[in-house]
Amino acid sequence: MNLTSIAARNIGRNKLRTSLTVSVVAIATLFFILLRTVVWSWTSASEFSKKDRIATRHKVSFIMQVPKRYVEEIATLPGVTAVSWMNWFGAKDPKNETDFFATIATDPKSLLDVYSEIKTTEGEKQAWFEDRQGALVGDALAKKKGWKVGDKVTLSGTIYPGDWTFNVRGIYTTTTTNVDRSTLWFHWNYLNESLPPRQKDMVGWIMTNIKDSSQSGRISKEVDAKFDDRDLQTITMSEAALNQSFLGMFSAVLKAIDIVSVVITLIMALIVGNTIAMGVRERTNEYGVLRAIGFLPKHIVRFILAEGVVIGVIGGLVGVLLGYPVVNGALGRVIEENMGNMFPQFKVQPEIAAFAFALAMVLGLVAAILPARKASRLQVVEALRRVG
Amino acid sequence: MIPISYNVRSLMVRKTTTFATAGGIALVVFVLAAASMLSAGVSKTLVAGGRPDNAIVTRKGSDNEMSSSIESKSVSLILATPGVKKDGTGAPLGGGEVVVVIAQDRLGGEPGQVTNILVRGVSDNVLQVRPDVRVIEGRPAKPGTDECVIGKGLVGKYKGMTIGDKFELKKNRPVNVVGVFEAGGSSFESEVWVNLETARSSFGREGLVSSVTVQLDSPAKFDAFKATIETDKQLLLEARRETKYYEDQSQGTAMFISIMGIIITVFCFAGATLGAMNTMFAAVAQRKREVGTLRALGFSKFAILSSFMVESTVLAVVGGAIGLLAALSLTLTRVSMMNFQTWQEISFSFAATPGIMLTALIAGTGMGIIGGFLPALKAAGTSPIEAMRG
Repeated sequence: MNLTSIAARNIGRNKLRTSLTVSVVAIATLFFILLRTVVWSWTSASEFSKKDRIATRHKVSFIMQVPKRYVEEIATLPGVTAVSWMNWFGAKDPKNETDFFATIATDPKSLLDVYSEIKTTEGEKQAWFEDRQGALVGDALAKKKGWKVGDKVTLSGTIYPGDWTFNVRGIYTTTTTNVDRSTLWFHWNYLNESLPPRQKDMVGWIMTNIKDSSQSGRISKEVDAKFDDRDLQTITMSEAALNQSFLGMFSAVLKAIDIVSVVITLIMALIVGNTIAMGVRERTNEYGVLRAIGFLPKHIVRFILAEGVVIGVIGGLVGVLLGYPVVNGALGRVIEENMGNMFPQFKVQPEIAAFAFALAMVLGLVAAILPARKASRLQVVEALRRVG
Repeated sequence: MIPISYNVRSLMVRKTTTFATAGGIALVVFVLAAASMLSAGVSKTLVAGGRPDNAIVTRKGSDNEMSSSIESKSVSLILATPGVKKDGTGAPLGGGEVVVVIAQDRLGGEPGQVTNILVRGVSDNVLQVRPDVRVIEGRPAKPGTDECVIGKGLVGKYKGMTIGDKFELKKNRPVNVVGVFEAGGSSFESEVWVNLETARSSFGREGLVSSVTVQLDSPAKFDAFKATIETDKQLLLEARRETKYYEDQSQGTAMFISIMGIIITVFCFAGATLGAMNTMFAAVAQRKREVGTLRALGFSKFAILSSFMVESTVLAVVGGAIGLLAALSLTLTRVSMMNFQTWQEISFSFAATPGIMLTALIAGTGMGIIGGFLPALKAAGTSPIEAMRG
């Protein structure tokens, strides 16, 4: 019999306590995975952003528009390979007004040039190009609403008043998470033609593909310089920077999640440490016996630490094993369908799971340090005298 | 009954364990209370912007001022509607407003970090229409000039946001900050107020306003006002009580925080309850002999059960109280966060209500009661003979 097996047996000795502690660690690990997945899912869009894509919008306010002719002018700049434009439409489904999804007016052909990540079939693509009232709908949105190709969809405008009817001509999916799978794209011409003269020929923002991603800074500056002496100035940045600045608005929420993650680990450490301390206290006179027959304080320390690590490992493992079905299966599906615009992909990332597992293990170890030190400092006689 | 002092002493004997368990419970109560207080703070800040006797008119179908636009010629029709209060000179108390969010550099943030600030183009009588707004520093803006007043929540936080400084609404169109106002803690305190014409020409909104706000003779006049405004099918307008409007604006963000808070609390609650259970099981096992003795002395099973329940409850109440106190200290801090409905950054504080405090304490006590029940049951089932023998 060696020290490791003593540690293992000690864990099995009070099965109730061990299983309670393991459950606490498992819950904390699971929750930690959930929180980090929220952050990952939310921020991943900026990681996947294309480096060779830049965005141009009104300099002062993102809710204001720039003239459509800026698009043509950007297209003439050297190093630009494709340009498309978009306008936020902000329509709602009259059947369910609280259900948010993006509706964007765009130029279909150039949109698919600029966003190579948007995938649809050749037939649907052509059908969409040809139908002035046609719409291309994200697969997540189509699934949620039960829309199929060929359906007529009527939405009510919040910015552009009235009822707007679209024909669903295609369903798209995406290859990366930086493009929302819950957007309804439709012809900008359809919108523009029906606007009063003063609102005509304006676009919300312009997306540009460039040949060489290392030139994105230079071309962005060139674009803004071009329009600097015009009536409306622009601000241009890489897609990554755009997403980043968007996330910046949510920095308070992201910070709150970070704080909660730390609080969780604190609660976990307190509870695990407490359990081990209780075990150590109850076994004080056994440690006395071990010391009396020649074991050194370092041996005592080692097997108390081992006990902490084993609890951390088992709890972490259970948490990770629960994390996959809970996050990917139950929560992920609901979140992707209902909040796809914020969380395009809600899945456990292997590195998050691995980190959570390692954290549980390290916490088990750290939590055992204090009780271990206490036990190792006991005088043999003192320890033997103590009962229960 | 077994006296409570017995339980208190028992808790004191195991100081470290007691402290760790109470600490766990304190953290859970803290998280629960903090999230609820944050959510209440958002609602309170936004709802505080509304007055029951004020009405806000937007274009039908628009959720908020940002997406609404009304033609100037409708404004005079709205102001002439019966029920709108008149000032001493007989002029209607109300006016069209233009609302735009602008990107502004945050001071002391990371480089390139911009925040959306709401700029409101207001009519000259705005301080009469919104009597809760008071200029506390500097002076009100002169009518017809490119001067502005800023909410006290913005002062010193963003570029150009101090009295005497200026910032641009448009290239070569700077506005000078001449005053700071407070608005009873409402979201107006995170806004910039400029002259209506300045806002219109800077943002290309000539001939348009976003919304019209009017003060009514009394809150009771609202229904008639609404009916008049909305029956005109040509105008396509919608009137809302200002209080209702701001309540709607706060819902998304407040709900988001609440839901996050609930999820977090559920997980922490489960963890800390199991932790408390562990502690109490250990306490029961440790005091097996004592319990046996108590039983032999004639204390009933029920007395033992309740004694251990009291002990875990005391533990939980102490933990809960610590957590609650920590959460209450948050009311001294202010937080800035984006409102999901308007994209506008608003600053608000944690709001503690009696309901939140009670819920947090109940949750804390609940952890003790749930966590203590099974161990107490085990203690009550102790056979005196066996316990005293072992």
